[in-house]
Amino acid sequence: MALLSVREETMRFGGLFANQSISFDVEEGELLAVIGPNGAGKTTLFNVISGFFPPTSGSIHFDGEEITGKSSHHVASAGLVRTYQLVQLFKQLTVAENVEIGSHRVTRGGVFSALFRPEWMRQQEKSVTEGARDLLRFVGLEHQADMMADTLPYGRQRLLEVARALAAKPRLLLLDEPAAGLNTQETEALAEVITRIHQAGTTIILIEHDMSLIMKIAQRIVVLDFGKKIAEGTPDEIKAHPDVIAAYLGGTETVDA
Amino acid sequence: MPSLVEFLQSIVNGVGVGLIYGLVGIGFCVIYNASGIVNFAQGVFVMLGGMVCETLLSQLGIPLIVAVVLTIPLVAISGIVMELAIVRPMMHRGATLFAIILATLAAQIMIERITLLTFGDRPRTYHEFTTGGPLKIGDVAIGYQLFWILGCGALLVLLLWLFFTRTRTGRALRACSQNREAAQLLGIPVARMMLIAFALSAALGAIAGILVTPTQYTAYNVGTPFGVNGFIAAIIGGFGRAGGALAGGLLLGVLQALAIVALGAGFKNVAALSFLLVVLLFFPNGLFAGFGKSAKAH
Amino acid sequence: MTSHVTTSIEPTGIRWQSILPIVAVLALAAVGFVSSDYIVTVLGFAFIYAIFCTGLNFFMGYTGQASFGQSAFAAIGGYGSAILCTDYGWEPLLALFATMVLSGVAAVLVGYPTLRLRGHYLAMATFALGLIVYEITIEWTALTQGYMGYSGVPPLGVAGFTLDTLKQQLVVLVVISLIGVGIAARLRQSRFGRALASIAGSESAARALGVDIARYKLIAFVIAALYASAAGSLFAHFVGFISPEVYGTTMVIQSFAMLYLGGIGTMWGPMIGAIIVSILPETMRGLKEMQDIAYTAVLILILIFAPRGLAGLSVLFRRTRVRVLEKA
Repeated sequence: MALLSVREETMRFGGLFANQSISFDVEEGELLAVIGPNGAGKTTLFNVISGFFPPTSGSIHFDGEEITGKSSHHVASAGLVRTYQLVQLFKQLTVAENVEIGSHRVTRGGVFSALFRPEWMRQQEKSVTEGARDLLRFVGLEHQADMMADTLPYGRQRLLEVARALAAKPRLLLLDEPAAGLNTQETEALAEVITRIHQAGTTIILIEHDMSLIMKIAQRIVVLDFGKKIAEGTPDEIKAHPDVIAAYLGGTETVDA
Repeated sequence: MPSLVEFLQSIVNGVGVGLIYGLVGIGFCVIYNASGIVNFAQGVFVMLGGMVCETLLSQLGIPLIVAVVLTIPLVAISGIVMELAIVRPMMHRGATLFAIILATLAAQIMIERITLLTFGDRPRTYHEFTTGGPLKIGDVAIGYQLFWILGCGALLVLLLWLFFTRTRTGRALRACSQNREAAQLLGIPVARMMLIAFALSAALGAIAGILVTPTQYTAYNVGTPFGVNGFIAAIIGGFGRAGGALAGGLLLGVLQALAIVALGAGFKNVAALSFLLVVLLFFPNGLFAGFGKSAKAH
Repeated sequence: MTSHVTTSIEPTGIRWQSILPIVAVLALAAVGFVSSDYIVTVLGFAFIYAIFCTGLNFFMGYTGQASFGQSAFAAIGGYGSAILCTDYGWEPLLALFATMVLSGVAAVLVGYPTLRLRGHYLAMATFALGLIVYEITIEWTALTQGYMGYSGVPPLGVAGFTLDTLKQQLVVLVVISLIGVGIAARLRQSRFGRALASIAGSESAARALGVDIARYKLIAFVIAALYASAAGSLFAHFVGFISPEVYGTTMVIQSFAMLYLGGIGTMWGPMIGAIIVSILPETMRGLKEMQDIAYTAVLILILIFAPRGLAGLSVLFRRTRVRVLEKA
């Protein structure tokens, strides 16, 4: 059974169809890319899947359970964690604290355990701190742990956002244009990190504009254009797909940019 | 049980004060639309309008029309100073919305205290614009000042409507409210628009203060109730819509007048504020907006 | 480029940073202890406000929201304690906790619906709440005695042992306020506190990580109300007299001045701010009637030029140190 299955998902804003009858599945352990020209409805699709707004019609199932219309923190609690196209860090907190917050989903405890610090709470705090340090090492930010998040260079903020999402131990990770605004070198570092996350067993959906990145790491690609799914297949199939070529030639980008 | 006369009388009184709330509410909307800021100091302009006008009239013996003509720009300048000295530097430094709102609240208290020190705490008032009256219809008394309020209020609404739809500046202000960044890209001087919004909003408050003072009194601390009620009017009308604020003001004024009859004068603000909470909870986009969208965060 | 030195602040630094304020507070209290009753009173107010602000800091600092009506909960605490102890002969401590429960319930009732609202709506709704309670304290004379206020509130005490002198009460206030700060620090450095901080940082990011924003906002609001209620009760017991003006707009604006001066969102900021703002006007007695003008002027200047307050300076210090080390 698919980990995520999107069925006939439609999102309308006024008279405009941002997503129209989109269906696709994501299997456990897969790395799926969603591509399409600007305004094709990719981010809307992410927003609907991650519960930021309910679809006009259609359904979304995650791990066999219907999550259509559930609030975003419920969806996140179920293990479907996303990042944003524009980096959304906790700027006034340290790099390490940013990652520690990420573990919210996989930890427990509220006011009383914070106040009285039972043994399990102390253990948990320790593992949160250590887990954050490990993740920072994983993305190569271990030396910036005590810097304020907003003092990091932009490329590193991206990595931090990924590390923070990983702290939530996602079953499905949605990455919304993680390479936007990165230079070639930073993009390569990011591609390497994404590949390693994938190899470690996390299912990933990736929205991306950087075609070289997509073609290198994606196993399967879904192409959107004007809110509709126009193609789905392996990178090689997509490259040869006539509708995709037409969509991209009509747009501003080319498939092998 | 209040009699019919009491009932009608309170509606008449409510319409008058409600129109004043509506004008203050429009003042809130003008600034909010241009800048996204809620200016808590809005009521201060009403107070200043009354105080300055009274000073010019009674203390200096200046004729009414001259006093009015002088008061409005003087109060408008206080709005400009507020924008230049507080709001602008904070926006430049990327202050949060809360911090700016807080600063306007602080400005209100500061201006109130300065007024208290300068003018003392004696309540002041001056003659109605037209002496004589009140006009009696049956047992219901309608003071002449109410006609001034209604007339000037209607004229102002008309002028505002013309300003926002027919003039370049007015249209630019509306463009700012749609999307500030886009307006900036279109070459609209957004900073100057904010200055105009504060001046206009202060002037509206001043006019409201000048009009309402003869029917009650003005003192250093009358600003808060006018500000709060004006804000409630704006919220009832669906924040940001001038017409809605006006209608909201009238509704609130009548409601409050009825509350005075039913509960006693002491609880008129409690009634208004409770009404605000109800509107915020159940109609966060205003009474006239329907249930469709909610004001939930994002 | 980066080297091994920047990984964490050395433990000695942490100890130094947390012990110094405690020592300073105790020293200040000791000075007060040997001074006149007048100075003891001023210090007492300072520590009561410190409790109020430490609570407000949960909501405004850690969680990044705004409440302009926290004085309402102080009024519930103050009037509740005054009425229960004076008219019904309750134990002050019992009344303190009972009114805290009452304030907590009130905070849930008011907060549950309003906290869903956007920023300025929330600000206005809480402002309205403060004004409603203020008007009620004036108008509901049968309960509150209106403008006359409530006098003869007994001093704090427990089981027949009362704190008769101001100095004894000051000691208790210092201890309570330190406990208040300690609780705040514990809560902040936990999963709970991090969830609050995530809301202040970015609501959408917090949500995407599974943080139930409405719930955490509500809890922070309730905690702030509990602190405010306790401060209100303590005020009633410390002064022995309360009136509507005690819990009016001045209280709101004064606490904001304290919070922003001391450093909003920091552990010791609220207390530092409370002490400075309480003591400074006393050094300029001639300015008595200018007090509110001074508060508001200071507040506006801080908001414009130093929105992170005095405690923010230590963060600057820490940040530059990290940068210097990085270059090394």
